Amino acid sequence: MSDVKTHSIDISAMQRSQQALRIEDETVCLSVNDLHLYYGEKEALKGVNMIIPEKKVTAFIGPSGCGKSTLLRCFNRMNDLVDGCRITGEINLRDQNIYAKGTDVAELRRRVGMVFQKPNPFPKSIYENVAYGLRIQGINKKRLLDETVEWALRSAALWDEVKDRLHESALGMSGGQQQRLVIARTVAVKPEVLLLDEPASALDPISTLKIEELIHELKNEFTIAIVTHNMQQAARVSDYTAFMYMGDLVEFGDTNTLFTNPSKQQTEDYITGRYG
Amino acid sequence: MKMKKKSVSEWVKSGDPWVWLNAGAVAISVIMVVGLLLLIAVRGLGHFWPADVVESHYALPGEPEYNLVAERVESVEVPAAQLREAGIAIPDNHQLMQRTLMKTGNRDVYGSDFRWVIDEYLTETKRPEMMFTAERREWGNLYGYLKAVKEDGTIVSETADLEPTDSALATWNAFEKSIERAARIFDEIHVIEKKDIGKINYALERIRLEQRRLELEGKLTPAAEADLAAERSQYDEEYKGLQQSLIDLYAQINRDTFIVQVMDGTEHEMPVAKIVHAFRPNAMSVGQKMGFYFTKVWEFLSDEPREANTEGGVFPAIFGTVMMVLLMTVLVTPFGVVAAVYLREYAAQGWVTRTIRIAVNNLAGVPSIVYGVFGLGFFIYFLGSGIDQAFFPEALPSPTFGTGGLMWASITLALLTVPVVIVATEEGLSRIPRNVREGSLALGATKFETLWRVVLPMASPAIMTGVILAVARAAGEVAPLMLVGVVKLAPSLPLDGNYPYIHLDQKFMHLGFHIYDVGFQSPNVEAARPLVYATALLLVIVIALLNLSAVTIRNHLREKYKSLEM
Repeated sequence: MSDVKTHSIDISAMQRSQQALRIEDETVCLSVNDLHLYYGEKEALKGVNMIIPEKKVTAFIGPSGCGKSTLLRCFNRMNDLVDGCRITGEINLRDQNIYAKGTDVAELRRRVGMVFQKPNPFPKSIYENVAYGLRIQGINKKRLLDETVEWALRSAALWDEVKDRLHESALGMSGGQQQRLVIARTVAVKPEVLLLDEPASALDPISTLKIEELIHELKNEFTIAIVTHNMQQAARVSDYTAFMYMGDLVEFGDTNTLFTNPSKQQTEDYITGRYG
Repeated sequence: MKMKKKSVSEWVKSGDPWVWLNAGAVAISVIMVVGLLLLIAVRGLGHFWPADVVESHYALPGEPEYNLVAERVESVEVPAAQLREAGIAIPDNHQLMQRTLMKTGNRDVYGSDFRWVIDEYLTETKRPEMMFTAERREWGNLYGYLKAVKEDGTIVSETADLEPTDSALATWNAFEKSIERAARIFDEIHVIEKKDIGKINYALERIRLEQRRLELEGKLTPAAEADLAAERSQYDEEYKGLQQSLIDLYAQINRDTFIVQVMDGTEHEMPVAKIVHAFRPNAMSVGQKMGFYFTKVWEFLSDEPREANTEGGVFPAIFGTVMMVLLMTVLVTPFGVVAAVYLREYAAQGWVTRTIRIAVNNLAGVPSIVYGVFGLGFFIYFLGSGIDQAFFPEALPSPTFGTGGLMWASITLALLTVPVVIVATEEGLSRIPRNVREGSLALGATKFETLWRVVLPMASPAIMTGVILAVARAAGEVAPLMLVGVVKLAPSLPLDGNYPYIHLDQKFMHLGFHIYDVGFQSPNVEAARPLVYATALLLVIVIALLNLSAVTIRNHLREKYKSLEM
């Protein structure tokens, strides 16, 4: 078990050669204040307080059922779709409470895009998949669509692979390509925040690597929050890491510190693989 | 004993009996379906074959001999005792006898056109080459020898021979030419009567309704009245012209007559105009018979019925069936899909929704005649007469929509089949993966946009499955239609060249009802029986074709929106 730890530390050490990050220096993109979430009677999030820093990658780790995906789905109010789900507390997207009454949820989801665990392309052509979000917004000018589709596919490092078959069905692509297509589709509407819910868990190692490289590219333009089961992945791609356990945010800090020198015993136990 | 018991239980355990049972059930089903199709195909298609006409001497024991000219229809073996009971003096040494149904035709001469004969007493059977069969516009088939052809009462060609001699063949040729000429004139008359005069009648009726409408609204000024009268006199003028040409054509068509010698040796003179086809089956080669056969099949498909539906074609019934089913599809699909979307996507899934769902499922099991009664009571008497009073007061008291018609029949069947579409669509909606919906919502689409752009297209194969089932059920339905608009004989098709082209208020013909009518309501059941089979086969084919096209569309959609499961 201890080699897991050494391995993860090796990688993080390799990637974190730049100077240490300090959460106090960051611009706040999303802030979470005393967020409680209930599925019926069950409390799934028990008072979470944290911030998501602007143009950085924030990773959420923790054992299954700890509430990390649930928290992520709060950021674009995806939990609204779950019957019997209730929320108290607030989440602010640049000082605007997204749970305030009268919030336009569709508008919020345009600003906070989400990529899911399993690739979910629509049964349309590659082009139409990427253009979907724009068409929803009523953009139908061909030139504008063409430009945005190309830009989004380039951002998702997919353009070279698909430029000759833009009008073929997206369902004919490989799983890794589909997931990058979904990222391109999300990027195309130019959201402020990208939520990635275990984006590589259904993919093979090579596709996973591509997605991780992509995350590095994308953080120059987007604020990214990623949920992952894979601690090495969290260490590789993120600037900040939040460790959650049983609906509590146990520890939150810059990735380097959290993986090398966690302040909580629970965190250390988890990242060294002593339980799970 | 013990060994055997063990092996049986092992055999049971191995699952083999189960496989045998399943395979047996499938085999029986297949045999039954294929058998049914074969039966109606053989009986129905055989009808169009130009059968040989035999001439024999026939004498029952102790009765005088007579000449019999007929087509063989079917043979059965009957016990001699049964025949004896019927009063026929059969000698004691016979047990079973072959009895044959012969079609003697010439109903106008003998009164009936079928008779049973006992094969044993047929003697000197031959197939004379000059014996001809004539299909007539009334009185059924005619069998006999051609003796002469007349024009305006004077003989142009005659023969005394019953053998194919030169003179007999020359007379035959004159006869064929005369028939061809009559057929041409008949077509002209048909066009004038159906199309031109139909159009004028339609226009005159429209003028009458217009006048009545103005009268009801109190706007019938003398000027308007004069206008209408002028219009009417113009059509009257046209009508007179057509009538004159009709009189001329009738004079022409009735010019020719022919003389035929029938089986008892008597000679009869008949007008050529009454003949549809005349042919000499005994002189035809197999190739000629095949050609004739296909002409007859085509006629069956494309012609209008004659003689209380027992002869001619069934085109209006095919047309009515297809049109009614298409109209039903157009009505039922949006209605069923909208209902299913509400039930599955919008309605809170409480006990109310569950109850509605159960009710919908049960609706599919309500006997169809109940829908017919409902359609008659609610659609026709309530809605229909309401529509008449509101929109067609000028036509009252004769109803426009207040009586059975194409629209009400389609709506009634749409109501009958809507549960199927709802159930299938709900099933399809529930199978769309949640993550695809979430993918759309996460891009800022509203629920409606998600439904419209992603979910419904993906559910379209399931919707088509519902439509296929609906079409299959609706096309085969007869009972409710008898109450809401199907008739034995419709004077015109519900689609024609007169504005507004589709006449939703018109009554129409339907293949299913046609089967019932021909088979059980017709005055000449024996003659109609092959037509029942032929029409049944046709109905099956029409339903299969309608379904096949729906299945093709569905497969195309399936290919396009193939499942996302990887």
